[in-house]
Amino acid sequence: MAPPSLLDRRLVLVTGKGGVGKSSVAAALALLAARSGRRVLVCEVNAQERVAPLLGAPPAGPAIREAAPGLFTVNVTPDEAMREYGLQVLKFRTIYEAVFENRVVRYFLRVVPSLAELVMLGKILNEVRSQESGRPRWDLVVVDAPSTGHAVQLLRTPAALLDTVPPGPLRRDAQWMQEMLVDPAVTALALVTLPEEMPVNEAIDLDQQVRDLLGIPRGALLVNAVPEPRFDAGEQELLRAQQDDPPPLGPAAQAAVLQAQRAEQAARQVARARAAIDLPVTVLPLLASPAWDRSAVEALSEALGAGGAPWAR
Amino acid sequence: MERLAERRIAVCVGPGGVGKTTVAAAVGLARAQAGARVLVCTIDPARRLANALGLQSLGNVETRVPDHAFREAGLQPGGQLFAMMLDVKRTWDDLVARHAPDRARRERIYRNRLYQQLSSALAGSQEFMAMEKLYELTTERDYDLVVLDTPPTAHALDFLDAPERILDFLGNDTARALLSPALHAGRAGLKLFQLGGAYAAKTLARFTGADVLKDLADFLAGFQGMYEGFERRAAAVRSLLSTPGVGFVLVASASPLAVDEALGFHERLHAESMPVAGAVANRITPSLWPEGESAPGEEALRAALGAGGDLAARLARTLAEHQLQARADAVQVARLFEAVGGAGVAIPRLRADVHDLRGLSQLAERL
Repeated sequence: MAPPSLLDRRLVLVTGKGGVGKSSVAAALALLAARSGRRVLVCEVNAQERVAPLLGAPPAGPAIREAAPGLFTVNVTPDEAMREYGLQVLKFRTIYEAVFENRVVRYFLRVVPSLAELVMLGKILNEVRSQESGRPRWDLVVVDAPSTGHAVQLLRTPAALLDTVPPGPLRRDAQWMQEMLVDPAVTALALVTLPEEMPVNEAIDLDQQVRDLLGIPRGALLVNAVPEPRFDAGEQELLRAQQDDPPPLGPAAQAAVLQAQRAEQAARQVARARAAIDLPVTVLPLLASPAWDRSAVEALSEALGAGGAPWAR
Repeated sequence: MERLAERRIAVCVGPGGVGKTTVAAAVGLARAQAGARVLVCTIDPARRLANALGLQSLGNVETRVPDHAFREAGLQPGGQLFAMMLDVKRTWDDLVARHAPDRARRERIYRNRLYQQLSSALAGSQEFMAMEKLYELTTERDYDLVVLDTPPTAHALDFLDAPERILDFLGNDTARALLSPALHAGRAGLKLFQLGGAYAAKTLARFTGADVLKDLADFLAGFQGMYEGFERRAAAVRSLLSTPGVGFVLVASASPLAVDEALGFHERLHAESMPVAGAVANRITPSLWPEGESAPGEEALRAALGAGGDLAARLARTLAEHQLQARADAVQVARLFEAVGGAGVAIPRLRADVHDLRGLSQLAERL
């Protein structure tokens, strides 16, 4: 049986190089899902919060908050996640506070490799499996994951612990987390990139790491901000010759030549990404308005909905 | 960037993905062409910079860009240009070797599993080593200018906070005391109650497993007595960075997020009295139509083209969108330049990525 459409998974991890528009894509995806009647949670990972503000809502902070109808957001921080996890393991708040609310523990949280990652990922995955009156609390959890290197570090934590940690509570946690991450019925990873050389290189590397190192089911490649081909070859030749004409034609021809060059470069990079990454590719348009706000998210969400296969509602 | 002309150290800071490495290389090239002996130290593992400089690859040692590479690009070599890529692990190893009292201690640290992961696992490690290398390069070598390209940080301030974080890690006495019993137990025989008897440690072990704590204890014990050396060194780096011979260069694109981050950096540098030489706004959309005048419509363009079809409509839309982006970029550039008292250079989006010495020198000319 084919794995379910991405919106029918329970967990979608959105990642890619810094600055490619991960948060906007995560917000657009969540909006698309919420509009189709799903209850959606977007998790940001210890970040300057972007998703709620993009939707025109105040930042949620570490407590879950509704940003749009059916669409909730939260910023998962190591301190708060550690507190929740600690309470779960230790049960009693006073003991927890004696143990965890002190300098030494903060120190450990920072220096013991992957402890902060583990508790943050644990909090997110706990939301995925949490139930409310007999049914899942969330239809879909979208993670606006950190950029490439940090994302791999975060998502690799359970597997790394399974390699090194002896049986015990920590190992049990790593076990169920890992099972959830690699289950194609539950989880999919969406790679976001730009149609430029370095971001595509990084997407290709990341894709390989996801396959070889993480084993997380890969769902889609999204190429963001792709300029449309607007002038054919004949027109381009004509316009190149008119760049030095007096206004209005000269400046218009210059803008057109620049647009055509960017579109051509972008098409080359999209083709390169398609050839190197065997995933369904969704091309998101370069938006005419340079502002990143609710209307931009709406436009992206619409483009995703029209994008077909992986995003079918 | 005249304000860089007299400096001995240029540190390029800013968010990832804005072309920081390329700007760093261009800053170096500009001074080298003016006759100086310059080193560009990058942390970017991408081969592109090496190739752009006409080198096969970059390593932890300084490699001179050959004169023929300049000539092939149609440039005068002028002074001397060197480049290197920071190897974080090797720099840590060198630092340990420098401070370890004897060979046994050095080997003990090298063997520690936590130490082996240090360069990638510990936040601030890369930044700390970048500063360490910078100190070595400026005090022990004979360059007119050293350009440092800093790691892309998740948080802009990591770079300046790195030494303190690392020193806190290495010299945390409470943690050392808490963990010391773990050292004396055999690996297999380690029981949780031996962990200093502290409830906190026992509980921690439930999270991390005892081996992790043992590695950490061993690591901290290894560094015992070396801390003061590290601390003195870090203090020296810090005061070096506050001298007038240093210029921080803020690099950003016109994205509001990138500018926010660069401004965050600027604020912090200012608060720490660290000298900012100026800002570079990279990949800016150039304005093609006079400010304040509305761009020509379809009709005007159709008349100028003297042709039918919808080409005029597409041209009008393209120019209007271009100007929209140019105006948005100009607003961001103004924000950035205002912070640095106008000492900024805007570099228009180039037609292609910079991938050779010629492209780099075109960029250098703009600086």
